[in-house]
Amino acid sequence: MEFDGVDLSQRAVVIVGVVCLAYVLIVRAFGSYFARFNNNINDFFFSGQRFSWWLPAASMVATGIGSYSFLKYSQQGYNTGMSSTINYMNDWFAIPFFVFGWLPIIYFSRIKSVPEYFERRFNSFARYISLVIILAYMFFYIGYNFYTIGIAMEGLFGIPQLYSVPILGLFIGVYVTFGGQTAVIFTDLFQGVMLYLAGFLAIFAGIYALGGFSEWWGWLPETHRLPFTHLTENPKFNTAGLFWGEALAGSIAFGFMNQGFLMRYLTIKSVDEGRKAAFFNVLITLPVSAIIVGAIGWIAKALMTKQAALGALPGYDLIEINNTFHTFLVVCWATVKQNAWVFGFIISALMAALMSTIDTLINACAAVGIYDLYKPLVNKKASDAHYLKAARWASVITTITGILLVIWFNTQKGSLMSIHYKGIMIIIPSVVTTIFLGAFWRSFTSLAACISMLTGSLITILTVWYPEMIDGLAWFVSGPKNDQYIYMRALYGMLITGVVGVFVTFLQKWFTPDAFADNREKVKGLTIDTLDVAMTNYKGGKPNHTIGKNVTDLTVKIDSRMKAGVVALSKNNLDQLKAEDKDMVYITDSRWFLGGLRSNHVKVTQKDDVNDSQIKMAEETFKSAYFLKDKLVSVEKIF
Amino acid sequence: MSEKKLNLLVPGLVLFTLVFVFYYPRFLISQFGLENPWTNYLYMYGFGGYFFSLGLLLITKTKSCVFGRGRDTKWFVILCGGFLWLLTMHAVWIYLALSIPFKGGVS
Repeated sequence: MEFDGVDLSQRAVVIVGVVCLAYVLIVRAFGSYFARFNNNINDFFFSGQRFSWWLPAASMVATGIGSYSFLKYSQQGYNTGMSSTINYMNDWFAIPFFVFGWLPIIYFSRIKSVPEYFERRFNSFARYISLVIILAYMFFYIGYNFYTIGIAMEGLFGIPQLYSVPILGLFIGVYVTFGGQTAVIFTDLFQGVMLYLAGFLAIFAGIYALGGFSEWWGWLPETHRLPFTHLTENPKFNTAGLFWGEALAGSIAFGFMNQGFLMRYLTIKSVDEGRKAAFFNVLITLPVSAIIVGAIGWIAKALMTKQAALGALPGYDLIEINNTFHTFLVVCWATVKQNAWVFGFIISALMAALMSTIDTLINACAAVGIYDLYKPLVNKKASDAHYLKAARWASVITTITGILLVIWFNTQKGSLMSIHYKGIMIIIPSVVTTIFLGAFWRSFTSLAACISMLTGSLITILTVWYPEMIDGLAWFVSGPKNDQYIYMRALYGMLITGVVGVFVTFLQKWFTPDAFADNREKVKGLTIDTLDVAMTNYKGGKPNHTIGKNVTDLTVKIDSRMKAGVVALSKNNLDQLKAEDKDMVYITDSRWFLGGLRSNHVKVTQKDDVNDSQIKMAEETFKSAYFLKDKLVSVEKIF
Repeated sequence: MSEKKLNLLVPGLVLFTLVFVFYYPRFLISQFGLENPWTNYLYMYGFGGYFFSLGLLLITKTKSCVFGRGRDTKWFVILCGGFLWLLTMHAVWIYLALSIPFKGGVS
């Protein structure tokens, strides 16, 4: 079976298929195990805000790499070189806004979804405008992932997308439907390891084939070594456009409105730990991921250059890349010397990338479906069991919708990168700007939010047919002026949304000053300058920011007289924590490797009958933290 | 920050931003040329650094980050350190890309 340079024999197809199937089954079993940690709807979607930073951070590795990433960035790496890393390494500019702004706002306000923030910050109408846009954003990603893995499977195994996509969707849908967020986090942790292993294996095989690292660098043209592409030359990939469209709009969208990522942050035990996860993600995970997904493209370029000068590499067949979309598959197959077992392992990484991204998005769409559609509009007062069942149905519906979108993607033309960003850059600008203004400008009004979102979205869509509308802006920022705007469209949409939003806000300030003043009062706790209010509301008292030392390895004593959600410690331990009566603390199983799987947030009090090696709590508190008998417990002060 | 100071700061920043966004890339292109890799680097980190600095200004002025409170100072230092690390790493990367000879003859 030949596929643009990948000549798989019947035996090789069977081996690769068996390895992939085995992988999918292992992940499926792994995910299903964690269904037991879902007692209620909060556990299902947010895992009870209990995890240590490293667990969601590590699982974000896999979430950030989709099945499209390997194919898309290898293609980009081959075409333009190491500048393919730019999308993964330009997020730091927006990080202050996230770690000290958006993250504490949503965490302390106990916001469950971005549309819910819009309801509380603005009004119901704003909520439903944002809901439509955010669902479009997430469904776009789900469909795109299914589409890319579908065409890879079709090429490799000859299985039509009509069969491969629904089968994969079924496997993923089942473990997300029953496992919820905890299953997603733990399977993504496993899949992240798998992705990196397979990715490094593929890179090692490529570098080895070239004759070593210095050979690779030596044969890589100068243009392909650079971290940034030309400022304006390529209409579909240029530094100016990438800065405005990707580093600003794209990074803010990924951090601020991607419900899947936000839900990861909301599973973390505290905002401080969330900051650790964010820093780790941007400084470590994303750069490493950029190498994993793009390196095969850079290796391919060096291989081609060396081959052109010296002929086929010794011990390897001549490598031909007729269609750059298949760069990853062609180069891997050649450099592992057509070993079907190793190639199967690498193809499993593609599956891992697909599953880990889609499971997060399915869970996120289901969360939005429940919290923003079902609960407020269909059934306001139902039991947790009912909502849990509805959440599972929402996961099923999301999966089916994502699968159906593959039909639409098959009608699109252009490179994988351009299909991706053409869609995203139309969807995100208005919501990104409205979130930004809403979170960082307390005066921004509800009316302004609704009008600016609608106007911004409409005008951004219009630029698809009338790209000349963007000419002036592109000239102003010295960006490319070529009527093929992809990234500049996002900047244009953001600018229009922002200008309309500011204008309407000032109109309201001048014409209805009382309503304007009321609005500023109403939004306390939901903007960056009123975070003290948010923290006080979250704790139910004044925050205590003094840093103490954790108390570790305590024995649990059950006391039926104690209230649920309260634990008692000795005075010495309270002093060590620098905690006062009724401060919020985090109690967890002392085994670090559980990452907070067995833990909870509670209030602390001091009791004289508790010694320094004990912690006292009610049976209900013990159970809600999933503690086990005879296992030691540690305590950390939150504030 | 008082309302009066804020009323001066915000329009001032908006005006400065417009001037900066217009003249900065033109200055870079006139000094280094469009083809120079350092032009791209300075475009990215010039605008990125400006936007990043606005973020630092915002989080400190709104008291979302208060030096000496909890671990805020540590996070602030990491924020600045992370920026400097990426800035340096990309500069070294470009230097290595340009300074090590290409074996294929024509780059």
